Amino acid sequence: MIVAAIYLVPRLRPKGPAEVEQVSEEMRAVTIFFGDEGAEGFVSETREVPAVESFEEQVKLVIGELIEGPRDSKKISAIPPGTELLQVFWVEDTQTLLLDFNASLSANHPGGSTGEYYTITNIVKTVSANFPHVARLQFLIDGNTAESIAGHYAVVRPIDVKKWR
Amino acid sequence: MIARPAILPLVLLALAAAAFAPEAAAAAKSLGVVYADGRAPEDVALASLEKGSDELFISAYDLARIFKATKFWNASSRKLVMRIGNYRYQFTVDARVVVVDETPHLLRLDVRYDRGAVMIPLEFVTGILAARVAEKITLDPGRLLLTIGSPEYNVTAIEILDDKDGTRAALRLTDELLYHIDSETPGILRLKIYGGRLDPLDFTVSEGKGLLNRVRAEQMEHDAYLFFDVKKSVRRYRVEFETAEAREGAAGGERKLVLFLERGAAPEIPDADFAGKKMVEMLDEGAKRKIIEPVRTVAIDPGHGGPDIGKIGPSGAREKDLNLQIALMLRDRLVEELGLAVVMTRTEDALVSFDQRVETANAAGAQLFISVHCNGWFTSDAQGFEVYFLAPARTDDEERLARDENGSAAYERPVGGAGAGDDIDFILWDVVQNEYLNESSDLAEMLQREMSKSLGIRNRGVKQTGLRVLRGLRMPGVLVETAFLSNPKEEKLLLSAEFRERIVESTVEAVRKFQSRYGEMREKRTIE
Repeated sequence: MIVAAIYLVPRLRPKGPAEVEQVSEEMRAVTIFFGDEGAEGFVSETREVPAVESFEEQVKLVIGELIEGPRDSKKISAIPPGTELLQVFWVEDTQTLLLDFNASLSANHPGGSTGEYYTITNIVKTVSANFPHVARLQFLIDGNTAESIAGHYAVVRPIDVKKWR
Repeated sequence: MIARPAILPLVLLALAAAAFAPEAAAAAKSLGVVYADGRAPEDVALASLEKGSDELFISAYDLARIFKATKFWNASSRKLVMRIGNYRYQFTVDARVVVVDETPHLLRLDVRYDRGAVMIPLEFVTGILAARVAEKITLDPGRLLLTIGSPEYNVTAIEILDDKDGTRAALRLTDELLYHIDSETPGILRLKIYGGRLDPLDFTVSEGKGLLNRVRAEQMEHDAYLFFDVKKSVRRYRVEFETAEAREGAAGGERKLVLFLERGAAPEIPDADFAGKKMVEMLDEGAKRKIIEPVRTVAIDPGHGGPDIGKIGPSGAREKDLNLQIALMLRDRLVEELGLAVVMTRTEDALVSFDQRVETANAAGAQLFISVHCNGWFTSDAQGFEVYFLAPARTDDEERLARDENGSAAYERPVGGAGAGDDIDFILWDVVQNEYLNESSDLAEMLQREMSKSLGIRNRGVKQTGLRVLRGLRMPGVLVETAFLSNPKEEKLLLSAEFRERIVESTVEAVRKFQSRYGEMREKRTIE
């Protein structure tokens, strides 16, 4: 009986973060920010994305995880439905990252100062946590600058990532 | 025969549970991780894998997440390669050696493979890794707390002095931050420092001095709070930055924010006699506060309009309509009850640009600006009201430019918005509201207090963000998010005239309080 119990123990053990170790591709652990249920604070999730050489491509993979949304139902995505990241540009001189989204970012936004604040801040926080050298972030919508995403915050000029609050 | 198969698994489970017990205790150890990069603190499981050793192991999976590493696992050679910062670390399962770039380093214990995860002794983090990453890594072995990076504090120290006049608590700040003090709770002075970042442990004073019993601090997402537990005999207090003269000789850029508790001339009266009595802020000596004009005209700004609908509630209520209804009612009350003039940024369902709204208020020479909105969130869960004032969001270059130009009259922007697209103009435009941030935060706090008394919904507090419509205002300005249209309960409230009435009443009351506070200040200054 004891032998049987000992034999069973390893099988009964809960599986840890096992399979993740088995991938043979080089992976990068990244931090993605969301809002909590009541929009009273920021919460993060960790994801693994393939590690790629191109900075712009790496940004696309990270923002892609943000757009995909949280895995935990208690976290809320502040990215409007249908939003896609079309292009990413990096301006070395001014350390400015340009993120070009499709029109859904603005058109499908539910509105409210809080909603818009979380949309911008989740993007800013996700960029600054994973790419600390980015100094400024410029939003583009369908390739053009836009006055605002939902009518409360100006995004027509680059946002200072370190000073955004 | 029938009973046996049913009992056997139970017995096995019990035995398995017993076999688990010691391991469960070991696995229960967890490492608290605190970050300086904005990530929320977390707890990470640690394992004890080596008999007769205290060494704890952390999984490569957790390690990669904490240090934003990339990793590569070769299952056949059982080697794991991680890249953290500029270094490459190669681990081999069941070996003590860690190859850093080309150089081998030895750990005291083997790297292990346990339940599908590569487990790395914690000494790797505090030794080999800590010496090579850019951030400072500190491990508090007692609390099992790992700190990554040094949080940048802008509120750095507290010093308490007591003399015959009273007790002073001096806070050291790296910047002149905005603050708000209230004495709503008898015996407690609550000081909110906007954008303040501090380590609460450094501001915990448990042994009283003079008129101060205790001090404690809290760090919130954006702001820092200090709670001063004062002797009940304190009747008057004030808080202000020390003057430029007093600052001479101090380290560059450092500021002292001083809370002064006045020692009354009256003989000591038993504490009990003061119970429930509120303390009074001394306004007359607050040298920093500028004398602003009496309020004669208020600008009211109903948010959105025309094709810009704003938020639409679950039952179809439109934000732009509600904003206008509330704003029009507020206009009538301010005129009737306080005898004020009111200028509206829109009175119809029309699209009005940010700049037009600001210019309407500036051109009318209004002394206050109140923007009325309804809030929205992605689910129905968010609830409550909040009040905003402006946080200028400028880059370093812009700030330098603004400093150079400040003081000149260059930012007197003509009405009509000539050169609206110009960069310099935009920056100077922003500077204008900076002049009124103290007063704007006062109005925001007063509104919040009145609304929390009468609205009966969650008080989400006063927030300072870079709202566009508050930029360029030549007067104190706030934006009120009255309630969440995305929340069906609050949508229903917003649709009731009675609730909108309460919003208007509390706003009128806040304007009345603002008038009297600044009126009192003006009087005292004139007397001096």
